[in-house]
Order: sequence, then C-alpha cells, then structure tokens
Amino acid sequence: MAKLKAPPEIDLERLNEIVNEHALKRWALIPLVQEVQAEFGFIPPRVVPIIANKLHLFPSEVQGVVSFYEQLYTEPRGRNIVRVCRGTACHVRGGKTILKLVKRQLELEENETSEDLEYTLETVACLGVCALSPTMVINNQVYGHMNPKKVKELFKREGES
Amino acid sequence: MQPVTITINQKVVSGHAGMSILEIARESGIDIPTICHDPNLQPVGACRLCLVENEETGALVASCVTAVSPGMVINTNSQRVLEHRKNIVKLLLASHPDACLICDKGNRCILQQIATDLGLGFNDLDKISQPAVVKELNPFIARDASKCVMCGKCVRACQEIVVEGAIDYYRRGFAARPATFNDAPLEQSECTFCGLCVSLCPTGALIEKIKPYQGTTGHSIQTTCSFCGCGCPITMEVKDNRVVRALPGKVDSSSPGALCIRGSYGYDYIHSKERLTEPLLKENGVFKAVSWDEALKTAGAGLKRAKEQHGPDVLAVYGSSRCTNEENYLIQKFARTVLGTNNVDNGSNFYNLATRAGLGNATGLLSTTNLLEALEQADLILVVGADPPMTAPRLGYSIKRAVKYRQAKLILVEPRRTKLAFFSHQWLRPRPGSDLALLNSMAWTVIKENLFNPEYINRQTEGFLGFSEALDGCSPESTVEITGVPPDEIRHAAHTYAGENKAVIVFGSGLISAVNGTESIKALANLALLTDNVWGSGCGIYPIQKENNAQGACEMGALPEYLPGYQPISSPEIRSKFERLWKEKVPLKPGIPVVEAFSRGRETPFKALYVIGENLTSLTRPSLNTDAISALDFMIAQDLFMTKTAACADVIFPAASFAEKEGSYTNFEGKIGWLQQAFPPVGESLPDWEIILRLAREMGAPLPYSSLQQVVNEIEEFVPLYEGYDRPAERLEDKWSYWDERRSRAFQSLSGFPCFSIPESGSQPGEKPKDYPYYLILEANLAYFGSGTRSGQAWRLKSHYPPEILKISAADAEKLSLADGDEVNIISLHAQVKAPVEVTDIVPPGTLSLPASFPNATELFKTGFDQESKAPSPEACYVKLERVKADGQVKSAPRNRS
Ligand code: SF4
Ligand code: SF4
Ligand code: SF4
Ligand code: FES
Ligand code: FES
Repeated sequence: MAKLKAPPEIDLERLNEIVNEHALKRWALIPLVQEVQAEFGFIPPRVVPIIANKLHLFPSEVQGVVSFYEQLYTEPRGRNIVRVCRGTACHVRGGKTILKLVKRQLELEENETSEDLEYTLETVACLGVCALSPTMVINNQVYGHMNPKKVKELFKREGES
Repeated sequence: MQPVTITINQKVVSGHAGMSILEIARESGIDIPTICHDPNLQPVGACRLCLVENEETGALVASCVTAVSPGMVINTNSQRVLEHRKNIVKLLLASHPDACLICDKGNRCILQQIATDLGLGFNDLDKISQPAVVKELNPFIARDASKCVMCGKCVRACQEIVVEGAIDYYRRGFAARPATFNDAPLEQSECTFCGLCVSLCPTGALIEKIKPYQGTTGHSIQTTCSFCGCGCPITMEVKDNRVVRALPGKVDSSSPGALCIRGSYGYDYIHSKERLTEPLLKENGVFKAVSWDEALKTAGAGLKRAKEQHGPDVLAVYGSSRCTNEENYLIQKFARTVLGTNNVDNGSNFYNLATRAGLGNATGLLSTTNLLEALEQADLILVVGADPPMTAPRLGYSIKRAVKYRQAKLILVEPRRTKLAFFSHQWLRPRPGSDLALLNSMAWTVIKENLFNPEYINRQTEGFLGFSEALDGCSPESTVEITGVPPDEIRHAAHTYAGENKAVIVFGSGLISAVNGTESIKALANLALLTDNVWGSGCGIYPIQKENNAQGACEMGALPEYLPGYQPISSPEIRSKFERLWKEKVPLKPGIPVVEAFSRGRETPFKALYVIGENLTSLTRPSLNTDAISALDFMIAQDLFMTKTAACADVIFPAASFAEKEGSYTNFEGKIGWLQQAFPPVGESLPDWEIILRLAREMGAPLPYSSLQQVVNEIEEFVPLYEGYDRPAERLEDKWSYWDERRSRAFQSLSGFPCFSIPESGSQPGEKPKDYPYYLILEANLAYFGSGTRSGQAWRLKSHYPPEILKISAADAEKLSLADGDEVNIISLHAQVKAPVEVTDIVPPGTLSLPASFPNATELFKTGFDQESKAPSPEACYVKLERVKADGQVKSAPRNRS
C-alpha cells in the first residue's frame, strides 16, 4: 500500500451545486463546509477559493475556519481510521513499538492516508482505557493488549497468511 | 451620548457610555499596557495584558473589551494586577526566542518595552520552541512566526483596514499563527505589500525584509506621500540623512492611517545613485557639469533669445503635478510675469481637461464633490473605468471597507476582472470603450421608468428637457449591440443606482483616457444629477487623480486658461485683479495646453520650453513628443533623474526630492498635506521653488519673495479656498465647514443651476479597422507609477513590476492556437511590439491587455484632441496578433483554427 500522493479529483459540478444552495445566506460557511465534507469526505484546499468567492469571504478567512475545527479535514481520509494510542500508560507498555509495526504494516506515516483510501493512520493522546494498554482503535472499535501478532492479524492483506 | 463617571486609581474620570475602561483611562492620561489593542481595529481581548482590577467585585477584567458602567472603581496597578501582568509577559517570553539583540524591531518592540517596564529579566520558565521563518522571495516583508504573540493585529489590519484578506489565523491552539491561504509565501497571496501589518506588529514577527538603510531612527518627521492623488500622511524615520523607514502618518480619527506599497517602500528613489546632483549643460551633444551660476545664465539667455526673436508666445513652461502648491504657484507666476505668456500647464491637465469638460456643467470646477469619509457612508458605489486598488489604493481601501463592513452595494462597470470584481454585487462587463452607451442607457431607464424626483429636477437643475430628448434611442435594448451587456443587467443597475438613498460614483483613467472619455464623464454627471447624488453626505462624484498634486497644480493656476483658483484668464476683471495684486501685467491671450501643442509633432508652436518634473515623452505617443522636442530651439529640464525628456534638454537643473524640501500638496479631495524636510537636498540639487526664484532673478525680473513662507502667505491671501491652509490642524478639525466652502465655491463657478449635458449621438467606440480584431487596453499596477521615472529608481518597487506579458482570453487563445508563453507581435495602426502571452480570464474575449509598465506600449496608441475643449480624445486601439515562431520568423496567426 503506498501513501496517497495527490488528493483525488472531485466533481466540481456537484461542488458548485452545494455552494450555490448556500450562497449569500448569512452564516452559511460552517453548514456549507460540513456539507462539502459529507459529500467528498474532506474539504479540498482548491475548493476554498470557490467557496470564498461565493460567500464574499477571503480564502484565508475560509481556511482559518476550516483549520480551526478538528472535525473538518483538508485531506482525504481513509474508509478506516486507525488511531494508535501514544499516552503514557501505553507508552510504557510498548505503544511505541505497536505504532512502528502499524506504520510498517500499512506503509503509512502518521496522518497519512493510503492510496486506495482504505486507511488513515493517526495517533491519540490517551484513549481512556489504560487498563487495556497498549491500545488502538479502528473506527469505533477499541483493541487492547496489542502485540505484534495482533497487528499483523488486523491488517492482514489479501493473499497473506 | 450618556455621560459616565468612574474612578480609576482613586481619581474620578468621566467619559460616555459605550467607551471601554481602556479608552477612558487613556483619555485621562492613565496608561495601561496593551499588546493586541489598536484604536483603529476591532477589539479582540486576545493578550490579556490590559488587565485591571474592579475593586468592588475583585474581578480582573481586560480593560480594552470591558465597557464602563457608572460608578465603577478600577485599579490599574494593584498588586494582583501587577502579578498577573508579569505572569502573562513571562509566558509570552517563554515561547519567544532570545533574539532581541539582533531583532530588527529593536527598541520599537512593544513586548520588549513592556517586559522592561515590568522589570522582567531572565525568565525562569522553560523555553517552548516555535515554528520559524517562512521563506519569502519578496523584498518587502519577512515573517518569523517564532516571535509571534498572536495579538492578531496583522490579521485585523489586513482584513479591516486595507481589506486585502491576505492573512488570517491558521490552525488552532498551540499551532495557531497568522498565515496566508495554503500557507504560501506572501508574494503568492492576495498581499499587496501595503506594509500596514509590519507597522502594527508589536514584535519582530513581521519586519521589513531588506532595508536600504540600517540603523536606529535618529528622528522622525511628518510628511506626505509623493506618489498618487490620495496624498497619504507619512511618518518618516530618518538617520544620517537617510530614510530608515516610512510608516502610516498621523491622520484625523475618521480614517485609519494606511499606506500602499508605494508609500511604504517606494521612497528608495530618493537615495538612488542615478539622482542628478549637479547642474548640467549640453555642449556638442554631451552634458557637462557646470556651476549653478553658469547654468542659470545659459538658461536665462536661452529663454530671452527665443522671446526676442519670436515674441513671448513661443515660450512655454510645463509645471508638474508632482511639485508642491507653492512651486506651481511660482511656476505660473514665472510664466505670466517673467516670460509674459499664458503657455503654462501641468502634467495632470492632460487628464483634468476631460474631467473639467465632463463635470463642469453639473458640478463646477472642483473635481471631487465630497470627502473620502463621506464615501464610506454611501449605500451604493458605482465604479466606472477605474481600478482604485491599483491607481488610488487608499480610495480602494475605503470602497472595500464600505462594501465589506458597512453593507454598501458595489456596481462595477469594467471589462477586466479587477480586484473589485470580487467585492461587487453587480459586475457589468461592457466591451471596452462602450461605457458611454451603457451610462446613457442607465439614464434612459431612470427617466423612462420614473426613478427620479421631478420636483428636484424642476427646481434645482437646468437642461433636463433637452437632455431627456437627446436620450431617445438609448434604451438598453438598442445599445446592446454596442455594449454587449444584456438589457436586463443595465436595467437592474439603473434601478439599484436610483433606488439607493446615498450613491457615489468613482471613475478613473479607464474612462478618462478612453474613447469618448469626456462624453462618458458627462453621462456620469447626468446620472448623478438626475438622481440628486452629487453633493449630499454619502453622495458624490470622485474622479481619481493620478499624481499626488494634480489637484493642487491646477488650483494654483498652472493652467493655460486659468489664473489661481480656476479664475478664467479670459475675464478682464480677473486679469486686472491679479495685475493689481501682483503689480505686473498679466498676458491676455490664453495659452495652449502643452500636450496638445506637442501632439502636433514638428508643427509645435513652441520654440523654447522649461519643463519641471514631467516626463513629456511618456505622455501620449513618445515618438510625436520627441519630434516636437527636436523642433525646439531651446529647452530647460528640471528633474530628479535623467529622464528621456531631460536628455533632450540644453540645460538641466537638478531638483530636490519631496523628502528634501518643504511645501504642500492638495490631494484629490482638496485636503492639504504638508512636507517636512527630512534632510538637505542631495549634492547641489535645490528645491524647485528655489530654482524658479533664482532663474527669475537671473533674468532680471526677480519675483518678490525671500522665503517660502512669503509664497505661502501670498497664496493664503490670493487663492480662494487656501485661506488658512498652512494651519492644517485647524482645517482638519473643521473640515466639514471647509468642505461647505469648497462646495459653494464650486457652485459659484457654475453659470446657473447645475445643468445636464446633452449626450452626443455617436457612442460607438470608433471604427474597427479591417483585420485588426482585438481591442488593446493598458493595465495599471501598484508598483509602476506614472511614467516610471521614480518607481523605476525605487529598486524594491521595480523588482515587483508585473511580468511583461500580454493577457488574452482563453477563447481568443484557442482561436489562435496560442498557449502560455508563446510570443506574438502586437500590431496596431501605429506601431508594433513583441510580447509573450498569458491565457487568463481577466480579459474578456476580443480584449487584450498589457501592463502599463510595458516598454513602449504607449506607441501603439493614438490620441486626438477635442477641437473646442482641447481635451484629449484618445482613439480606440485595435490590434492584430502575429505569432513569432521559435526561430524568430513571423507567421500570421490564423484567425480561425478550422
Ligand atoms: S502587507 Fe498589507 S496586504 Fe500584505 S499581509 Fe500585510 S496588511 Fe495584508
Ligand atoms: S505576526 Fe505580529 S501582529 Fe501578527 S499576530 Fe503575530 S505578533 Fe501580532
Ligand atoms: S495610496 Fe497613494 S498617497 Fe497613499 S501611500 Fe499609496 S501611493 Fe502614496
Ligand atoms: S495511555 Fe493509552 S489508553 Fe490511556
Ligand atoms: S490589549 Fe486588552 S486584551 Fe490585549
């Protein structure tokens, strides 16, 4: 799995439809970018000037809002979000190694997304389940007591045993 | 406003409701340290440094964002306040690099000052490292985010004052910092390098990147920008006879101070190595340096000789819209009383003739009909043929502020996609040169659909009937052929313009120096008069003046047909009044506008010319002017640089720059800006006024002044509207009553009531010659100014000239199979030049544009002159393109790809 280099093309026509629905409403920006994200999975930087122009805002202003909210993404995200815990408890029990293994297995660095948009790898400060450390989450599912074998199992690729 | 009294540090102080604690404290002379506060920016309460203690509740509040309430008891430096304040500064310092010794902000750093005031030395908190410098290529601004304290002044300045929106906060929490879109270097953003953020940044996070002169400011002076007609006040910091930096100067509270790239970084030309420093005399085609005595003697003799041989009317003096009021006053008096001719003119007249001829009937002779602050109160702004963000940036800021923050509507009439297109509510994109037809259709709609007040028209205007009859046949439907604008759009614009209470009109060179310029200005005046939008507050007509003293030079009478104060030379009473005042004869025969005389090429009626600070060859077509110059017997040039014009002269006088002399400028609104001398003139150069006085003395007809002050006194006494002009503070305080005076003066110059002008029938932008399918326009830009005499010597500006590229629409490029970078020959009926192309949506199909800084671009154009008003009437410039093949061969580009 190689990491994603260029963000995928988006359907500009669809984008314009969404933008036009919201245009010239006051305070349209946040609902608008949320809808863009719902449609495309992220908010590509190249749509920012289009949105800005329509709402009579500066591109830097729109970017400011988008970059402020953690729930708004400017890069495409995988269908599966993998978060490896790097909190203190996990750290002392080998969390670092787990992260290294996951990275190797997915061929991704932190905050990268795979080319087939299958995975996005992130880290998190503490999942709040330190008793299970080292831990990680895939989407909403928590995996505790992680070890190299489990990592391999979880990300088994097709054709691999 | 409700008065409020509170107690601060045991002292009873008062103000009014709505003030913040900080404002009341500062007004009463109590200082509270602040970092993020600025009186011209929206308060954000970001730094918390301005904490004060409410002694009744014990609460610590940020004084800049806390409104006063009656009876409050405040302590600004209680033990608790000091404790907290110290902690805040310590925290700021903990994430700040220890680079104060080598930081360019030096002792101007607010953070450093406050830390010192609080007695903070070494910091016991651990250092937190921060992101560092962004790599920038521009020569103006360097950014170092590690020194940023997130006060947000830069972001607010950029959004609220200059309204460029180049930067905003980016990311959040600890990673937050001001950034451009895509975190790109400034040169790839909307940034116009106005320099405002740098001047407001409290720390070294934003600094001037390459300073032509290093050093701590010795002293600072208040002066006025020498570039455009906005005439911005500048605070100039000086050391060792060098400018250290230029900052926005002190203005009245109604408009926040801000400069543009030219005001902030354009002063480099003062210190250019190319400055003329000695008088020069041409001998056998070569200049040699001579003494002032010798230069003056030769100059005086040359003028006298021509006068003796051919009479005074072959002499002409060409004054300058870059010289001060006092200098222009002397220039016209020199021409009239020393030389005995009314052949005196100034560089801006070329431009102002059309404006006067266009607006004269409706508004009188004073150009703008309102102050800039009135524009910001407008409900609607109609911009026609003007690009204020480029040509008059401060006016541009006002327009953008009105639109973005006061909900004014903007109608833009402009073929090119200029910066204002982004701000506009309606953007009409007529074919270039068809503004006249479009404006007449708007007026037609206003009349036919009864969008005006007949009572006002009947009582306070003249000429309505003739006007409305002449508009017959100007319906939006019948002009669509000419303008290419759908009738509904014109109708909509007419309704919007007539429907808003307070509407202003801004126009500029895109209209004035285009085909049918004068007629289009008349059409604008008609439209404003029809809807009663000429004089009221929030109403008005604003012609943009190109040069900083264009207004003043004309008001001082450096004009062939007017004495000072637009008093006509043709009037015997006026002439005898001036003869009485001056105790000299005033010549009878009106003079000839210099540009018109020069456009006759070798047929010019002039034999000897004294040109002061103007580059004649750059006006209209350079080659014609060169012909006219070569037909002269004798020529004196007075300039800062060896311009193409100066190079033709027999004698050259080196002149001082604006930083090296005193005097005043009148900006496009009629406001006076004063110069203060920063250091003595370079080399042997002298202020223009002094050179004129010396030349008059040399010619045996000394003008009766021994100091500049005496000239000022005479202007105060003799020139209407300039009474008390050397007491700018008083005039500022009382600007509205001064404005009333100006306005009644304008009324006096009308022959009766404001009058409609009858539109001419021909509103076509001229015949399109066969095989010349494209309309060429020149595009103004920020860094290049006038004819480039000064901006070309200001190295930072020059490095920022736009690329020498021809802009072409995608549709036209496709027809000609042209791609970005392909070279073409641009051929008009008069000349041809070569340029690479850029495919863009800035120009519509059928239109091409070159930057005004493009060498020899003006050769492609031709300007005629109106027989009656002598106003220039430029012809449309149609061109064809020929592709230049890689091997240098020329091949006619096919007009159709099929
Ligand atoms: S220089 Fe002017 S335009 Fe550029 S970022 Fe600063 S304030 Fe904005
Ligand atoms: S760069 Fe300067 S002005 Fe801008 S937020 Fe940082 S410290 Fe304030
Ligand atoms: S807007 Fe005009 S007067 Fe003001 S700084 Fe810029 S060039 Fe100078
Ligand atoms: S440290 Fe990993 S779950 Fe708490
Ligand atoms: S000055 Fe009041 S919070 Fe910064």
